[in-house]
Amino acid sequence: MIEFRNVSKTYTAGKENVEAVHNANFTIEKGEFAFLVGTSGSGKSTLIKMILKEENPTEGNIIINGKDTTYLKQKRVPYLRRSMGVVFQDFRLLPDKTVYENVAFAMYIVNATPKHIRRQVPMVLSLVGLSGKAKMYPNELSGGEQQRVALARALVNNPSMLIADEPTGNLDPETAWDIMTLLNDINMRGTTVVVATHAKDIVDRMKKRVIHIDKGIIDRDDKKGGYNSEI
Amino acid sequence: MKFSYLIGEGFKNVFKNKKSTGASLMIMCATMMIFGLFFLIGQNVNYMLREIESEQGMQVFIKKEATEIEIEKLKQDIQKIEYVSTTKYVSKEEAFNIVKERYSEYGRFLEGYDIDRNPFKASYVVTLTDLSKSEEVRTQIEKLDSVNNIEMRDKTINALVTIANGVRWISFGILVILIFISIFIISNTIKLTVHARRKEISIMKYVGATNSFIRWPFIVEGIIIGVVAAMISILILGVSYNIIIGKIMESSITNMISITLLPFSEIVELVIVVYLGLGIGIGSIGSIISMRKYLEV
Repeated sequence: MIEFRNVSKTYTAGKENVEAVHNANFTIEKGEFAFLVGTSGSGKSTLIKMILKEENPTEGNIIINGKDTTYLKQKRVPYLRRSMGVVFQDFRLLPDKTVYENVAFAMYIVNATPKHIRRQVPMVLSLVGLSGKAKMYPNELSGGEQQRVALARALVNNPSMLIADEPTGNLDPETAWDIMTLLNDINMRGTTVVVATHAKDIVDRMKKRVIHIDKGIIDRDDKKGGYNSEI
Repeated sequence: MKFSYLIGEGFKNVFKNKKSTGASLMIMCATMMIFGLFFLIGQNVNYMLREIESEQGMQVFIKKEATEIEIEKLKQDIQKIEYVSTTKYVSKEEAFNIVKERYSEYGRFLEGYDIDRNPFKASYVVTLTDLSKSEEVRTQIEKLDSVNNIEMRDKTINALVTIANGVRWISFGILVILIFISIFIISNTIKLTVHARRKEISIMKYVGATNSFIRWPFIVEGIIIGVVAAMISILILGVSYNIIIGKIMESSITNMISITLLPFSEIVELVIVVYLGLGIGIGSIGSIISMRKYLEV
């Protein structure tokens, strides 16, 4: 569960103050699928960064899984991040590691046992449909496949939520739709999914909750909406 | 599992930047050797000081042809002199054995000598109640029969104390400079690996790796460079020290000057402890410094 209470974020650039997010209020329930839409520079990325606690809000509170993370100590941040998987537009895979190693890497970090790693990694790879490609390197894969690897890595530690920042930004429409369907499957298995995107077609087709942000203000929150309000 | 993973990553880092690792190794070795030179001189001066302080006063060498009765009489004569505290007899066999034992690893320089063909003289080690009166005591002892020569020890003490203090300050200064240079060098080398792996580090942060988990491989890398530099330095230092000491001992025995130097075996433990301490300390501090910027995500 993600809850924003009166959250504002102001960046200070030199003498100028830029308000990236103004008084944001919303709650994404456990097991929900939500799109975060808006043009670039609308404040979408800032919202994502605040969920990941890469940035701290200037005002207001952010509650994740029942805990107020606003005043979370820096030392506890890694443990917060273990409760969420993250994927990015540019995949962020390690080029000198195989698909298997890229995914296992996320498990090493949280001190998983080798036995657990050997069991869990193939399972997640089959979930994203990459069972046969475990030994390949990222540059031998297509963009869609690379994003699947990134998804497998995000999911391998069984996070309660998945945060995707423009996951289809680098993909052609067909592949993008495949990835979105995969995200939907993941959501069906009980994981909360938050997708920041400006892929209008996909958002319209998915008929999921849409939180629309414009110039830092959340101006629309439709339970089963499209990218634009009139549907 | 976790531990071996972190250590393994550290080793991988070391071999990733062979050139810059090699460069920092060499610079660290060079600075460590310069420090080592003064460190060893300092140790030797301290050693001489201790040796001599324990037998302050003078060593009265007895003529070779002196009989036992004459030797005994000499002792009583010395004891009668004012300011003399103790007189301790050192037979020439004892002198031979002390030297032979202490320098057993440099066996060659006593070659051709044994107890019967003994280059040393018997002596009395005379300690004084008041060191400032040593000149007076000396002139009185010189007048006695059977005295071959007298070697003063208090004079050398004053000179040695000055040298020892000088050497201590110089080696301390060099140590400080060494630490700064080495930390700078190591942190720069590690910055290269950190930079090369910044993508990996950011992924680790997003997946929920703790700072210490991210930091350890780089600390291990720093420690490896430091320890390897320390080991190379110890090796080169030990070999060259042994050669130099051997040469000095050979010339001292032929010139009949008594110099007491530390055999390497007696300080090797101290050298290892000091150098490994330096290597580990410098390595870990250097890498922590180089990491600071990259951990703020």
